[in-house]
Amino acid sequence: MHRLGGVGLAAFDRQQQSQRSFAALSSQLSQAQVDDLHAQLDQFRTALSSFATHHRKDILSDPRFRHAFQQMCASIGVDPLAGPRRGGWWDEALGLGDWQSELGVQVVDVCVSTRERNGGLIELRELVRVVSRLRGLDGGAITEEDIVQSIRALKPLGAGYEVIDCGDGRRMVRSVVKELDADQMVVLALAGEQGGRVDEEGLVLKKGWARERARTALENMLLRDGTCWLDEQDGHDGMGRAYWVPAAMQWDE
Amino acid sequence: MSLSTHQTPSGFLLPSIHSAPPFFTQQPNESTQAIVLEQWTRLILTYARHRRLFFLRVEDAEKAGGQWDEILRNERINRRLMPAHLETILRAMVRKNVAAYEPADQTRAVLLYWRLPEEWAAVLHEWATNTGQLNSILTFYEISDPPVESALSGIPDSMLRAAIAILAKSGRAQVISIADGEGVRFFARSGR
Repeated sequence: MHRLGGVGLAAFDRQQQSQRSFAALSSQLSQAQVDDLHAQLDQFRTALSSFATHHRKDILSDPRFRHAFQQMCASIGVDPLAGPRRGGWWDEALGLGDWQSELGVQVVDVCVSTRERNGGLIELRELVRVVSRLRGLDGGAITEEDIVQSIRALKPLGAGYEVIDCGDGRRMVRSVVKELDADQMVVLALAGEQGGRVDEEGLVLKKGWARERARTALENMLLRDGTCWLDEQDGHDGMGRAYWVPAAMQWDE
Repeated sequence: MSLSTHQTPSGFLLPSIHSAPPFFTQQPNESTQAIVLEQWTRLILTYARHRRLFFLRVEDAEKAGGQWDEILRNERINRRLMPAHLETILRAMVRKNVAAYEPADQTRAVLLYWRLPEEWAAVLHEWATNTGQLNSILTFYEISDPPVESALSGIPDSMLRAAIAILAKSGRAQVISIADGEGVRFFARSGR
């Protein structure tokens, strides 16, 4: 049988020798690769840092820019808040971590202070409006996406804040740990279309529900969850019964 | 629909919740009703202060045309506060000590404390001092209906008595019998 190394004792030596050279070559190659990667990483980091420092003000004050920036980070798999150090390694350059936590605190503030009124449900658009007012003019504009980001950042705290999609592009933030069943989602969506007002009739006509089902869903929201208010002076005769969802009403105060 | 504040003819700024239809219904959910009570309490007291109204009666919700119509009714959304609901609100206000039943043996009329008796006492003493009436004897009438309108114009006798009693305790006032009833004499913050 013919072997590359030939036969005989000398073949062992030769084989060992070539193995050694291969190993040396391989480690040399990987070293080069690692060095190369390090260099690239350094370059990338420098570029990001200089980008961050350069555009810091824009990122913090311009919501469109910030959104684009966050999308860019997401697409290259970089979390602007994560890193070896607390707050992330370029949080220092950017201050985005502080910015995000501050926004998170404001979101919680608004959710908690309006909870009694709306039963722990608030429309995202309304939340943006109230938080913006809380921040004043100097805080720069914020968007729904910023709030969603902050709520995601709150997740590890286990506060149970959640963004709920109501369909038709409207989203609500739920700040109490409470299951919303499918029927309640329908009621919320309908209330949103009607400035906050819903009644049994509307659910029967528009959603094809049985009257009993409509009543149960509404009474649960009214009595059990406190997510809606009762109006006993509805209609032309002022004797009708309607339900109002504060989360779907627009409050100017 | 947007719920906004509204300026009444008397110049009072109604809060936006006043344009929410369910605000006029007594809520079956306890925690929701607590908010309703708190909001009505605040609204009633600020309105009373704005108009200098001292009394609120269940009758004010029974028929239109009274001094309280601007807040007990909202014609823009065709809602009004029901008398039974108002009675509940009055009860809550008395319990929170921002109003007192007057007369004491019924539950349909209250004297409103948009200033607490202690605050009235301070206002009263300040007025006596500023108008140079320390040490002279004044009738109740001279205080509640002074020739120059004052912060005390129209103050009900019972509130005035409560305020004087508070001042008397710290030696800053003394009730005196005079020919046609009672009078009061104020003293400077005593150095006794």
